[in-house]
Order: sequence, then structure tokens, then C-alpha cells
Amino acid sequence: MKTPLGWVPPLVSLTLGGTLLAAGLGMLACAVVGYVDARAGFPFAVSGLVTLAIAAVLVSDSRSRISDMNVGPVTGLAAVTVAWVVASAAGAVPMILAGTFGSYLDAFFEAVSGFTTTGATLIGDIESQPDSVLAWRSLSQWLGGIGIIVLVVAVAPISGPGIQRAFYAETSGMTSDRLTPRIIDTAKIITLIYLVLTTAAALAYLIAGMNPFDAVNHSMTTIATGGFSTKNLSIGAFDSNAIEIVAIAFMALGGVNFAFYWKAIRRREARPQLNEVVVYLVLLVTVSCAVAVSLALSDGASGITGLVIDPLFAVTTVMTTTGYTTADFDDWNSFARSTILLTMFIGACAGSTAGGIKVIRVMLLGRSAIQELQRQVRPRVVQVLRIGRHVYKEEVRRAVLGFFLVYLLLFGVGILLMAASGLDLVSAISGASATLNMIGPGLGEIGAGENYEAMPDLARATSCFLMIAGRLEVFTVVALLTAIVDRTRDALKRA
Amino acid sequence: MKAMVIGAGEVGMNVAKTLSADGQEVTLVEVDSAMCEQASVELDAFVVEGNGASPVLLRELGAAEYSLVAAVTTIDEVNITAALAAHQLGAGTTIARVRDPDLLGRDEAFARSILGIDFVIDPDRAAARDIAAALKLPGAVSVEFFGDGQLALAELIVTESSPLIGRPLAERERPHPAFIVGLTRDGVAQLTRPDMVPQPGDHLLVTCPTECVRAAVAFLAGTVSEVRRCMIFGGGKIGMALARHMEDAGINVAILERDPGRARKLAERLPKTQVIIDDGMAEASLLEAGADKADAFVACAGDDRMNLLAALNGKRIGADLCIATVSREEFTPLVDAIGLDAAFSPRLIAAEQILRFVHTRSVKAIHLTRTGFEALELEVNPRAPIVGKSVGETGGLLHHCRVGAILHEEGVSIPQKGTPISVGDRLLLLGPVGTVSTVESAFVGSP
Repeated sequence: MKTPLGWVPPLVSLTLGGTLLAAGLGMLACAVVGYVDARAGFPFAVSGLVTLAIAAVLVSDSRSRISDMNVGPVTGLAAVTVAWVVASAAGAVPMILAGTFGSYLDAFFEAVSGFTTTGATLIGDIESQPDSVLAWRSLSQWLGGIGIIVLVVAVAPISGPGIQRAFYAETSGMTSDRLTPRIIDTAKIITLIYLVLTTAAALAYLIAGMNPFDAVNHSMTTIATGGFSTKNLSIGAFDSNAIEIVAIAFMALGGVNFAFYWKAIRRREARPQLNEVVVYLVLLVTVSCAVAVSLALSDGASGITGLVIDPLFAVTTVMTTTGYTTADFDDWNSFARSTILLTMFIGACAGSTAGGIKVIRVMLLGRSAIQELQRQVRPRVVQVLRIGRHVYKEEVRRAVLGFFLVYLLLFGVGILLMAASGLDLVSAISGASATLNMIGPGLGEIGAGENYEAMPDLARATSCFLMIAGRLEVFTVVALLTAIVDRTRDALKRA
Repeated sequence: MKAMVIGAGEVGMNVAKTLSADGQEVTLVEVDSAMCEQASVELDAFVVEGNGASPVLLRELGAAEYSLVAAVTTIDEVNITAALAAHQLGAGTTIARVRDPDLLGRDEAFARSILGIDFVIDPDRAAARDIAAALKLPGAVSVEFFGDGQLALAELIVTESSPLIGRPLAERERPHPAFIVGLTRDGVAQLTRPDMVPQPGDHLLVTCPTECVRAAVAFLAGTVSEVRRCMIFGGGKIGMALARHMEDAGINVAILERDPGRARKLAERLPKTQVIIDDGMAEASLLEAGADKADAFVACAGDDRMNLLAALNGKRIGADLCIATVSREEFTPLVDAIGLDAAFSPRLIAAEQILRFVHTRSVKAIHLTRTGFEALELEVNPRAPIVGKSVGETGGLLHHCRVGAILHEEGVSIPQKGTPISVGDRLLLLGPVGTVSTVESAFVGSP
């Protein structure tokens, strides 16, 4: 059957349609918030309905061509990238209509920062925004946290032969932790865990003293390790140790592999994931201790807040790539700041909502580095990439090294573009790191106490690219670029 | 008694030969016609050409009349199918050689019951266990345990610093309850006599209660050092199983393996073992792998010739204890000729394992040494001819055997001339191969 959308690969229309479906429903939910608040309900209602209409067209189009759904890996990966970019483009619209932003680029930046769970914001006075905009920011992070397509697959009757590729392209981590034979059931399990954690976080925030609106918003952005807040001063605005401890706990939980939760509940063999989780928690505590010691020695920090909660909060927020702030770590000594900057790259566990390189990849990189040194001494000894008792194939080693190299390359390009736009060195480096690793606040001009308003337009556009590349783990975006280059070259040859 | 052996490879031939020498009516089934021809020349047995896993062939051969069916080809699946078919057809005891431990998994008893196999033998794994036992006992080149582990039969090499040198055995110091039963010099094995004078390089066969075997062996052999670094040549079934034993014992272990794919698999399965891709033949590469610093060098690849060469190389480079696995009988004399410390034969081990199932209940264990001794653990049944006799005065019942030790209820004792033999005792007898069939009747109660 010939359709007007015939030139779009059906997998792209399916993933895109599904993503827009989720975004549209989310907007309608925020419209309800808007009407209750009596501010900015209409922009969300209109955008939501239009988005849903487009989604309906796309999904029905893909259903009519479901037989062409079998696609190569590149199309699968590219489809996800397209879906995320378009979802962000759509997500920007209500924020323009509501008058939050004057420039579309800024609204797009905010939407990308939301869906990718980065948490970098261009809004100067957050508290003056209508509730619907605040809710939309939080909800976009919650949708993006575990993956829009994962959520859609879990609840909507959208499936097809190609959807698995999209599913795995979107979930973070290097191994596809398939929990059940059917991908839909896996998506349901992950979504259920996500819902349970989010609900638990909301209740904990309520008990710790937040009002219901703040509690719900923060629970969504905490478990998604996103970092958007309803307050100008982020979590720091509440000035409550109880709330900070709740935030630390649930950020840390959001950074754990979701497959691990399921395996732990079902008492299944989860040794590889367990190794990663243990190292992740040990790192979290060790780095916090190191920061605490440096603060005590050099900055004269004291008391429970200064020596325990502040360092632990800062390290957790950075390592889980959340980006909430309490203390302004930009004022800390340079050892503590460097540690924070490096911790950004580690990230949390694979298969979690966090960004960064991921603990397991860092572990494998470290092991590979040691083995390369050993190879110099004993060139013929067979080296097996092993964490605990789990053996990784050589392809995994290659994939991890490749990932790391491309990641560094993107980081380097990001720094150059940021610097070219006029940011100073610290801001450029930390800006590239904070967006590629999906943290949010950086150092210098974009530090914890500031926002991204200091960034020139070129840097804002660069940030958008880095955030999406970081969230979709680099290769997904590279796949789209490859596909575009190939198509263009073919078109040029034909012409 | 009728016994069927399926497979005429190294293991099958030796099992058939041993059973035949033991007085059994042996039928040997082999699929390869050239091997059948060879077997019918060498063996006093009925040789059938055909696939031993075929239920039709087994029915034609009258499997139900056989009291023992041993499927010992090199292919696990053939052995299992043959054992299952024989079991279904009503054969007596079924034995299958299974080399891949994954086939039976963690619950061997369950797998055996499903497959109709009474006993599983795995000469490779048994060889690895035996080598590991020897390496873990400093000074010994092999050790076998009897009487549910209470009694050890160890083979050791006399070194220059041994207190035994230069005087007759009768005058030796005896700080430990050990009995030197056999002595092998220049490849010739004989039972000891009190006037024998040990020399450096002699292999002694010693019985001793297990609790003092370490001290006794160390004392008799002279200065010995514990094995801390072990190098294994060949990462086949034996090499892998041996490396696992070494890992468990906390011994530093390296494997030389020629095939990169196999080497990778070994490295994956053996977390503490260093796996080196090498054929073990070049001195430079052996040195690089650290063979000169190894306390023990074990060559256990699939090819006897390679093993002998590699072990020789290891010895020359300076490994303290050099051991090879040698399957083919014709190579056995070479082991002593080139000065290796010990050799283990999966072939003999398989025969040992199967012989245990053939004999009456009075035979508890059989061990065949490389040098041609047969060690038997026999239980004295009520009303058996041997009851009431004493060691040294059995009236010819034990022929030329030596009583190496007696296991009573209260433990192990080293026999003296005149020690009485009573019902329920277990005797460890040593004699030339084939002893079991001649002395067995003395231990069985008359009806």
C-alpha cells in the first residue's frame, strides 16, 4: 500500500509515533495541572492534542506497513535518535506557547535537557513559572529516564519485529538484560519497578516535609536521575537534612541496574550485575569520603551537614548524573572540584536511568588497561576479560574500548565548540562534561549556583547534541549520522 | 562370566586385555574394520565389527547374557547410547566412559539413573585426580588410597640424601609405620627382600597409614620440597582437570596450550591459571613461561610422543619433578629410559576402574602400577580359606603376593610375620599383574 509517508522507514514512524504518543499524553496531563492552577493550561491542551494526532497518523501508517519492519541495526538505532529529537522538538512547543521562552532554541534546549534527564536549565526564575510548565519539565524527565520507548512498549499495543532494536538502543548499558522471553514483558517489569520506586520516593519526600506538588515532581526527577527542580535553589531550597537524605537514597537507587532489582526479587543469578552494584556503592562512599576529607582540611567544613551530607549529596548527585544541588560545590577547593568533574564521567550502573560511561564499563576499561600492561611482560599469556567469576567476550572489550574512544572524541569536540562560543576553559570543560554525562550543573559560569543562561547560542546547540548523544550512548547517534551521510552520498551519486 | 567391551581404542583394548587375562569371556565391538583386525590378532576375545550403540546389534549379540557391558569409545554419546541400550536389553552391569562432565551435570546419580548406566568412568578425570594427589604429596610420584582413605600406597624416588642409602632394608631406621613393599630399579619391578640395598634413583612402593604418609614419604625419599608452582603441558581434559585441582590446592599453575581457541576456553574456565599459547617445544618459550622455576612439570597432552618430548625438555631446563601421561603401552619403557620421575596412564586407570566392577564383593579396590604391580584390597569373608592363617604362613594361598598392610576395625597395621588373618580384615596385597584372579578365591567364603 502506498502512503504519503512511504519514504519514512516504517520502524521510524513506529518509534516516532510511539514516542509522540507518550509525549502527547504527558502534555494533556500537564494541561490538567494547568487548568487546576488556572495558569497555562491551554498551551498544553493544544500541543497535546496536535501531538497525539500526529502520533496517531504515524502509528497507523507503520501498522499498515508492518511487513517491512525488519531492518538492519543502523536503521533501528537511527530510528531511536530521530524519535528522541522529534519528541524534544514537540516538547518545546508548549513551553513557547506558555511564554516561558522567547527563543525556540532555548525551549528545545529545555526539552532536550528534560527528556535526556540532564537537568540543565535556561529558566532564571523557576518559581515564577506556572505549575503546568514545572510539571511538564518533571514529567519529561520521568518519561526519558527509563526510556520513552520502553514505557510505550510496556503499555501500548505497539510491537513489531524491529522494535527490539529500538528498545535496546534506548536502554543504557552494554548488555541487553533480557528478563523474559518476550520484550513486552521485560518492558512491563522495568516499568513496574520504575513506578514502584517513583511512588516510594514521592511518599518519602512527603513524609520528609515536602508539599504534595513538590514531592511528586521531585520523585519523578529523582528516580529518573534527572535533576529538574521546582525551586530556584534546587533541593537546597528546602534546607532540610531529611529531604536531602531522601534525595540521596533515591538518586542512588535510580542509579542501580533495573534488571538487578528484578533478578534480586526473583532470587535469580545476578552475579555480574551484583559486582557492578557493589563497586558502584563502594565508589559512591569512597569518593564522598575523599571529598569530605579535603573539605575538612582545606575549606574548614564541620558538622554532620558539612562533613557527611554535603559531600555525599554532591557525589551522589554527580555520580548518578542527577544534578540536584544543595551546597555550591563550585566554591569548594580544587581537589574536590576535580573529583566532582571526574566522577561525572563514571556515572552509575548500566541499565539504570543514569548517564556517564557507567561503572561496569569503567571496571572493564580498568581491567583492560592492567591486562595491556601485563601483555608487555608476557605476550603469549591468554587474557580473559573477567569481573569476579563472570567472563566477558572479546567483542565486549572491543565495544567498550570503542565506546570510550568515541565518548572522549565527543567530549573533545564539545569542549572546542563550547570554547569557540566564548565560554572560559573551566566552563567549557565542565559544560561539555555536564551535558554529555547528563548531569546538569557544571563548574564556573554554569556552576551549581547558576544556570545555563550564561551559555551563548552555539554552546546551547552543542549541549543539545551532547545530551542526546550521551543519553542514547553515542553509537545510536553515530548510527543516525552514518545513515544520513550514506543517504546523502547515494543521492549525490544519483544526481 | 561374559563381558562386552565397546570400542577398541587404547582404553578399550586394555580393558579387554585385562578382562581376558582375568579369565572373563570377552566380546569386543568396534566399528572400524582395521582396528577389529588388529584386535583379533592381539586379543583372546570374540571381536565383532559394528556400531556398539546399535540396539539391534546388541540384541543379536544377546546383550542380556552379559554380566558386564563397558562402553569405552572416545565418543561420549555413543557410550551413553550403548549403555542405555544394553540396560534396556537386560544386560547386567553397564559402564559408560563419559569424558564431558557437563553431560552428567551436577547430579550424576540422577543422570545415571535416567540413562541406565550403573557406573561412569572417566579415565582422564581419574588421571588428573591421581596426578594431583601425587603433586600434593611432597616426595611422592604417585599415591593411591585404600580402605576408604585410611591406607596410602605411595611410590617415591630415593634421593641422595635419603637415610635408606647404603644399608640393607632390614637395618633401616623406622620412625614411621611404613612398609617398603616394592622396589623398581632400571624399570625392573620386584617385591622387596630384607637384604636389598636401595640406591639413589630407585623407585620404592611404600604402604603407610594415611595420617603419617607425608612424614614417611618425606623421610624415606630424603630432602623433598613442596610443589608450589606447577606447569602443565597440554590443556586437554586431563590438563584442565589437573589445573582445577591445583587451583583448589592453592598451587600456582600455568598451562601451555597450542590451540588458541582451546587456550581461551581454558583461561575462561580457570580464573587463577595462567594460560600460555605455546607448543612447549622451544626452550626459549619454556623459559619465558617460567618452566625452569616450576617445581613440577606435567605433560598431559593427547599425544604420547609430544608428552615424552615436552617432559624431557622440562627436565632438561630444570623443573624438579617431571611427569608425563603415556597411554600407549609400547612407550612405557621410555619413561624410565629418559629419566622421567613418573608416568600416568589413562589406559591403566580405565582398566583399574572397570576391573573393580568385575570381581566379587571381596575385592574392594584394584590399582595397577605403571611398573607392573597389581595392588589389591581384599576383604576376608566368613568361612574363606584364608581365615585362621597368618601372614607368612598361608600355605600357598597367596602365591607370590606380599601382604602390604592389614586394615582392621581399629585401623591400619603393618603386618609382621605371624600376624593372624581374621574375618572382616581387609588385606592390601601386592603382586604381579593378574594376581587378583589367582588369590581371589582364598577370600571368598565357601558356600
